Amino acid sequence: MTRPLLKVSNLAKSFGTMTALRDISFEVEAGEVVCIIGPSGCGKSTLLRCINYLTFPDGGFVEVDGTHIGREPGRDGKVRMQSHKRIDQLRPMMGFVFQQFNLWPHMTVLENIARGPVKVQRRPREEVERQARALLARFGLAGKEDAYPSALSGGQKQRVAIARALAMEPRLMLFDEPTSALDPEIVKEVLLFLRELADSGMTMVIVTHEIGFARHVADRVIFLDGGLVAEQGPARQVLGDPQNPRLREFLAQIHEVAAPADLSTPSH
Amino acid sequence: MDFDLAAFGDAFPRLLPAALTNLTIALVAMTLALIGGTVLTVLRTTGIGLLTGAIGVLISFIRGTPILVQIFLFYYGLPALGLDLTPIQAGVLAIALNSSIFITEIMRGGLSGMDPGPVEAAIALGVRARTIWTRVILPQLYIRILPPLVNELTTIVKGTALLSVITVVEVLRTAQQIANTTFRPLEALLAAAIVLFALNLAISQLGRRIETRFAARRG
Amino acid sequence: MTLDFSVILDNWQLFASGLWMTLVVALLSIAAGFLLAIPVAIMALSHRRWLRTIAGAYVEWFRNIPFIVVLYIFFYGLPFMGLRLPEPVVGGIALAFYASTYFSEVIRGAVLAVPKGQLEAARAVGMSYFMGMREVVAPQTLRLLLPPSTNTAISMIKETSVLSTITVAEITYQGLVVQGATFAPFEVFLTTAALYWLITSAFAHGMHRVERAAGAAQGSQQARHSLADKYLQLGMRRSK
Repeated sequence: MTRPLLKVSNLAKSFGTMTALRDISFEVEAGEVVCIIGPSGCGKSTLLRCINYLTFPDGGFVEVDGTHIGREPGRDGKVRMQSHKRIDQLRPMMGFVFQQFNLWPHMTVLENIARGPVKVQRRPREEVERQARALLARFGLAGKEDAYPSALSGGQKQRVAIARALAMEPRLMLFDEPTSALDPEIVKEVLLFLRELADSGMTMVIVTHEIGFARHVADRVIFLDGGLVAEQGPARQVLGDPQNPRLREFLAQIHEVAAPADLSTPSH
Repeated sequence: MDFDLAAFGDAFPRLLPAALTNLTIALVAMTLALIGGTVLTVLRTTGIGLLTGAIGVLISFIRGTPILVQIFLFYYGLPALGLDLTPIQAGVLAIALNSSIFITEIMRGGLSGMDPGPVEAAIALGVRARTIWTRVILPQLYIRILPPLVNELTTIVKGTALLSVITVVEVLRTAQQIANTTFRPLEALLAAAIVLFALNLAISQLGRRIETRFAARRG
Repeated sequence: MTLDFSVILDNWQLFASGLWMTLVVALLSIAAGFLLAIPVAIMALSHRRWLRTIAGAYVEWFRNIPFIVVLYIFFYGLPFMGLRLPEPVVGGIALAFYASTYFSEVIRGAVLAVPKGQLEAARAVGMSYFMGMREVVAPQTLRLLLPPSTNTAISMIKETSVLSTITVAEITYQGLVVQGATFAPFEVFLTTAALYWLITSAFAHGMHRVERAAGAAQGSQQARHSLADKYLQLGMRRSK
């Protein structure tokens, strides 16, 4: 087997006396789509933010394609923390799409996408803008270049947020609850869109509470409970034949509450 | 020239009693300003165009001009109009007028955040406007605006130091008198600054304590 | 008694020069105070505790003592340190320091009002803390900064009157000079006040137009006092 694209080992994080992540380890292969599910407050958003060091984990390692970000073991076996500058440099290897998108309201759509590559990677503006326009066209947003985020619908904002992350040419994408800030009727549209992104070969880690969504998009599902990976495996297996009692309970609850909103028609 | 620690330390025994003058003036002015601010707030509701217009001009004038000039108007100006006031009286009145303008603005802001339900209920029941004000609106409002009122009191205390200019013997004037005999103005002034700082810090701490008590009672 | 404003006309040149001095000192010390406030605000927003403590102590100290005391301390303190400067400069420096503490609180408030996710989104595309602050947060604070900065600036314009006590020949000082010569205090100080009223009103008006242009005044302006007006209206109806 080849080296995993993302390797998370023994990640831990506490806020004061509250332990969010106890000991999390998992791997993601290139091209894979992994959904992280779990009850609210299980630490799934914290996990995602610790992976790209938006929040500094207290312990454990994160490797992207063999490169450590943040904490790394030295040759002498001692663990040391990289400089903030180094972490800032490595962070865009992972594109991050926020739950609320967090588009910059004072910049046009094009500028939202172009500012990062121009300022951080110091790439020529002309080239970056050409790439940004291509991304917008591919995402069905041609003509919105000069619009401001406030003029966009929720789904459009999300696609701009994705384009902004992709413009940095990341190795993989992290999504924090991609459907929770959107109207239920466009959830399916988002599903199709993310599916397309996955089909183009993009590696994705998606935190979600929508089981239907996970079922249709994910190759693999990780169930988080109590700050630990309680169960993981192929989506069909984990969601269709859960072993962990907590996962069974969780799935049963979800089905009761969210059955009508479930995505019953597969996209293909 | 070195900093004279002895002169600095010796200033405090005279400055501390003087701080009582600042505090007394501030409390009297605050009381008057609360009354004035409340009256202005109620008057603004009468809907008499001329009256609300005049109050509007007064608010703009007081807010748009320095309190020092207002103090001069009271201290130098009123005697010329035949109204003789002692420096302390002139100072208290000037500060009180200035502050009542700021308090009526605070009250206006406080009103905007209040739940209109009880007032509407009272109106529906046919309760008189005066009773609505004294029983429903004002008690709630005073508690609500307590934090900005405490803040206003610290502003007033700062204003009392300006009365040194019209010969009121408070902390700053006392410091100047000390400097006149010791020839150590900086030491006396720093001591005065510390005394006034402590006074204002005490007021804001007290305010914070009262505030949490009210918050606890409401919760 | 009757008011006699001819004494004002006779001394208009003194008032004019005072007005000029006030404008110059106010403008320069407000600008300097704002610039000085930026590092203080950055310290106050730092995640390093000792920087926050220093900034907090600086702000608390100046905000809790009267400007006249600050002014006197600079007036006697600067020569004490061997710096002999003209009175208007001393007054301007004192006012700049005093203003910086108020402006730093304004800046801090504006930065905190920008949602946390904005900076995080900047960090996510690889920007450093300072680059994110510059590219993303700072531009968004501008419209939040304007209204409270205008208020603070007006307060500082009014504080310039205290500079008269160290003989800076601004409006209030000239008022005292004219009143000493004419013994028409009411007319003189009414005129003095009117000049300040003119400056602060013009300034407020100008800044309001800037706010409008920046789009900050949209919507919120009307909404802010509508409930207060409702209360006031209620009282009015009942008292008829």
